Amino acid sequence: MEQRFSNFIKDHYFSLKCMPHDTARQKIEFAGVDAEPVEMRSSDIDSFGNSVIIGHTIKPHDTFNVRLTGTALTGLEVFEEKSEDTPMIFTYPSRATRPGIHLSHYHNMIANNAPDGIYQRALYYMRCIYRDFSYCPGATSISTTAENAVQLGKGVCQDYAHIMLALCRLDHIPARYAVGIMTGEGFSHAWVEVKCRQYWYGFDPTNNCLVDDNYIKISHGRDYFDTLVNKGIYHNPAVEVQRIRVEVIRL
Amino acid sequence: MKALLGQAETVNSLLARYGVKFGIYKNGKFHEQLFPFDAIPRIIDAEEFSVLERGLEQRVTALNCFLKDIYSDKKIISDGVIPPEFVFSSSGFMAECDGVKTPKDIASHISGIDLVQSKDKTWYVLEDNLRVPSGASYPMIARELCRMSSPATFRETHIEDNRNYADLLKAAMDYVNTGGVNVILTPGRYNAAFFEHSYLAEKTGAVLAAGNDLIVDGDFLYYTSYDGTKQRVGAVYRRISDDYLDPIAFNPESVIGVPHIYSVYKKGNVALLNAPGNGIADDKGIYYFVPKMIKYYLGEESILNNAPTYLPFYEEDMKYVLSNFDSLVIKDVAEAGGYGVVFGNSLSEEKKAEFIEQLKAEPRRFIAQEVIDFIDIDIMDKGEIVPRKADLRAFVLTGEDVRVWKSGLTRFSRNPDSFIVNSSQGGGFKDTWVLSR
Repeated sequence: MEQRFSNFIKDHYFSLKCMPHDTARQKIEFAGVDAEPVEMRSSDIDSFGNSVIIGHTIKPHDTFNVRLTGTALTGLEVFEEKSEDTPMIFTYPSRATRPGIHLSHYHNMIANNAPDGIYQRALYYMRCIYRDFSYCPGATSISTTAENAVQLGKGVCQDYAHIMLALCRLDHIPARYAVGIMTGEGFSHAWVEVKCRQYWYGFDPTNNCLVDDNYIKISHGRDYFDTLVNKGIYHNPAVEVQRIRVEVIRL
Repeated sequence: MKALLGQAETVNSLLARYGVKFGIYKNGKFHEQLFPFDAIPRIIDAEEFSVLERGLEQRVTALNCFLKDIYSDKKIISDGVIPPEFVFSSSGFMAECDGVKTPKDIASHISGIDLVQSKDKTWYVLEDNLRVPSGASYPMIARELCRMSSPATFRETHIEDNRNYADLLKAAMDYVNTGGVNVILTPGRYNAAFFEHSYLAEKTGAVLAAGNDLIVDGDFLYYTSYDGTKQRVGAVYRRISDDYLDPIAFNPESVIGVPHIYSVYKKGNVALLNAPGNGIADDKGIYYFVPKMIKYYLGEESILNNAPTYLPFYEEDMKYVLSNFDSLVIKDVAEAGGYGVVFGNSLSEEKKAEFIEQLKAEPRRFIAQEVIDFIDIDIMDKGEIVPRKADLRAFVLTGEDVRVWKSGLTRFSRNPDSFIVNSSQGGGFKDTWVLSR
């Protein structure tokens, strides 16, 4: 990941949620996580269990680079995680998934034909979203909510995931937002995990498929805002451009 | 007492000189105004206060149990005492705090419980303030000045000394301190309660710091003084709301907080008073459940009464609210400081219909309460004694023990027709005397 600033900035504090961790489906071996320039670096774990690198750079700088390398063994199981807890927080609307009239209307429209059973229902919603929305980079922004995206009828992976989360949560199905990378794509990707009995399963409404060995998961949360790969604040006005380049090579 | 009243003007001018002010943001502008002091004290006798004291200890103990539970096992939900909607749909529940253990399992170290007394002398709790309750400094300094201007009054009357607030606060900080200095973190000079921040720092010996005086290095928090020396910080009594406390963990727009302070806290390397996330326990919707919490966690009946409250969320309560709308006060659970409070009988027909529409659309957003006809207390208004509505904010400090401060902030309404006594809305205050026998 490379962040460029139009001016020199200072007092830059950041948190990086970019480290994949072991799940039932994947096993991670890190070769290295480098960030520069960095004057202070420490680690943290958020309340969803994601690893976070925190730190700061006080002195002026106009670029910030993070490079992460490693190998992942994927497809070890079909589910992402097994857990006994009832994660109630994932059954209620979050900031980006709060339904308004458009979402409720869309839900009413398709929920009638939805099959029983959590897994079947999630599969059905995934297919409906894939069918009813068009993938259109630039139509939405990072702050677009599920409600806005439904109204527009288009979006990117983030919006597809938010819509699916909102639909599941309207049915009281626990669902969470997942971020990661996949083979054949140069960017980070977002999808949905749904809790069915004790298992979290990954569904990708953007590609209309189940999460398999092509996916490497980085983190999860209630929605996009819990999974920001790079969150930071700094002094001095600057226009920033952030580029994330992902290279996944199948070994 | 007469001697004291004669000194009222002197005391007020001294308060002005010491900068005892209250800031209000109105129409986007910061206005600073004096917090008018009325010299006639509210007097609570020893026996009456001992009931309040037991009730407040019980209430705050249960609220701390609730905060511990709600950010860990959530048994109170799985046991069906509180419906999950009231927790997870509330903006007070902070996912960032879920699973985070607070030092010594205390979340609300400083609790401000607002009470009123009805005409039949029964006390009712109107709300719990467990985030950043302010106001203790006002009766502290008023008492100090009254003592100076009329020492005889305090020799002749048996009044509980209220000068121990600073000690109680210091003990609460010391008890959870993880090693290092105590700090009072202020948003700065233009905060409504800046006087209080500086006064409490002076009285407790804590360092008064703004966000940019504190820095996280590695896993610890440090105070940097003007000459550049760094001192480790063990406890922060922060007078900044959760949203603004840490721009990385919470609101990135904050320029008054300390980046990464919350990470240090989660590692157990600094104590925050009060803990982030407390907003879930003083949520107006959760208020309804406090007597049930007391029963659930402590196995006791609540000593203090809640004002009779209805949750339109429950169908039965909605019916009651709609048919008794004019006699109720309706509160928006998301608002504070006397805002979002609507008296049913004060609305025009049109406004009422509009409001009911909103109530039906978002029932969980509102609570309805019976209007308590609370007692009037005498105040001096232009040399005349007149009755005004008043409430009492009691302060409860939790360290090794739960301690109720034997004083409190009595706020009164300036307007003879108003029931709203909040200082954000321009009321005044009185000292609260608890008699020692």
